[in-house]
Amino acid sequence: MVQDNDTSAGASRFEPQKVWDPAIRIWHWMLVFSVVSGWLLGEFRSFSTMQWHIYAGYTTGTLILLRIVWGFIGPPPVRFRALAVGPSTLKNYAGKMFQREPSGVAGHNPVGAISVILMLVLLSVQVMTGLFSEDDALFFDGPLANTVSGSIRTTLTAYHHLSAKAILVIVLLHVSAILFYLLWKRENLVKAMITGWKIVRK
Amino acid sequence: MTMRFKTIFMAILISCASLGAIPMVQAADDDAVAQAIKARQAGFRLYSFYVGQLFAMAKGEQEYNADLAATLANNLVAVTELSNGMMWLPESDNTARQGKTRALPEIWAADSNIGDKAQTLKDAALGLSLVAGDGLDALRGEIGAVGEACDSCHEDFRAEDF
Ligand code: HEC
Ligand code: HEM
Ligand code: HEM
Repeated sequence: MVQDNDTSAGASRFEPQKVWDPAIRIWHWMLVFSVVSGWLLGEFRSFSTMQWHIYAGYTTGTLILLRIVWGFIGPPPVRFRALAVGPSTLKNYAGKMFQREPSGVAGHNPVGAISVILMLVLLSVQVMTGLFSEDDALFFDGPLANTVSGSIRTTLTAYHHLSAKAILVIVLLHVSAILFYLLWKRENLVKAMITGWKIVRK
Repeated sequence: MTMRFKTIFMAILISCASLGAIPMVQAADDDAVAQAIKARQAGFRLYSFYVGQLFAMAKGEQEYNADLAATLANNLVAVTELSNGMMWLPESDNTARQGKTRALPEIWAADSNIGDKAQTLKDAALGLSLVAGDGLDALRGEIGAVGEACDSCHEDFRAEDF
């Protein structure tokens, strides 16, 4: 068991709790791998590596499907019910977000929950448009590209490129937020995503 | 029929005909610029037709045939050798002709290096034509450079959508 008391905000108000189940932790780090490699293989594509971009895309798609299932039947902190935060909760948390102490939430904090949903939606869009994308230079097409007309194919390919840029932005934001929690709020979320143990407000 | 009726009848006929002609003039979808745009797109379709079959062979989606591969690569070289400057008329970019072309205005910029991109494709096509009939491995070795030459020009000079 990991005793995580590295908080300066008075250990007594916080206690370690097992928050993230093994499945979501393995899932997260696999997603990082598939999204980063897929993104790089798409942006810096070549004839000999383009097939790997498509494999990375299938992996991402499979992980997204698994996450949707987990959102319904997984443990409470990863359920969609926990991610669906209302405007008042959100406003309340956003007001306190810049306080210099750990949030100590037994799951995603409300702002984090919004970004999680946004990431899942964007990645779904990325995979779905990818299935219809055409590459008329290296001649790799998504498996469903031939089921739609040429002009729709061109448009969906354009959206695939656009949402790839959006994913870059939100992932950078995601990592910056994690760094903000570590450096400003002195809350190590990464350790929690690795071990499952999180410092939670009593 | 009297002379007056004939005159009125002709006048109506001519008015109708000229009214009908106005939308045709306004649409201007077959002026010199429109024709040039269609011609260069047809040229790219030709690239695509030749090189697409070579890519299909390289990926094992179409059976390798040495004679066909050599012919396709030679045809590609032939079309890349055409001097097609007259297809890139001024005012034929995607701001002047929205919805008709994906050619970006950067093509016509003073510091545009589109000529270098075209030359890269010419060189790659020539390299491919020298080996395309020598077996699948030889084809696979050279075809990547052709696709990457197409890709790199589209990246800089072709809009994502019409
Ligand atoms: C020197 C730059 C350049 C190179 C090299 C190039 N392209 Fe293009 N390509 C363009 C531009 C610009 C357009 C947009 C033309 C337009 O819409 O007017 C285009 C359009 C196309 C189109 C769409 C045509 C249409 O009907 O709208 C296809 C297909 C295409 N290129 C395939 C290829 C292939 C295959 C290669 C390589 C063998 C290639 N291109 C090499 C610049 C290039
Ligand atoms: C099944 C899933 C996927 C398929 C079939 C697929 C297919 C494709 C194809 C065919 C292209 C080339 C388009 C072109 O050359 O014009 C492409 C480009 C790209 N893809 Fe995917 N893709 C998938 C998933 C993903 C995912 C999950 C990501 C990122 C997380 C991604 C990021 C990119 C990027 C960055 C590019 C290059 C875009 C650019 O140059 O602007 N793709 N993809
Ligand atoms: C491509 C890159 C990444 C993607 C797509 C991504 C995606 C996600 C998603 C979807 C979640 C929510 C987990 C859930 O489903 O419940 C999450 C949580 C998390 N991610 Fe990432 N992530 C990426 C990179 C990273 C990196 C590089 C780090 C480490 C620095 C990281 C650290 C975390 C942490 C700590 C959490 C938990 C946040 C919390 O406590 O609320 N992620 N990530």
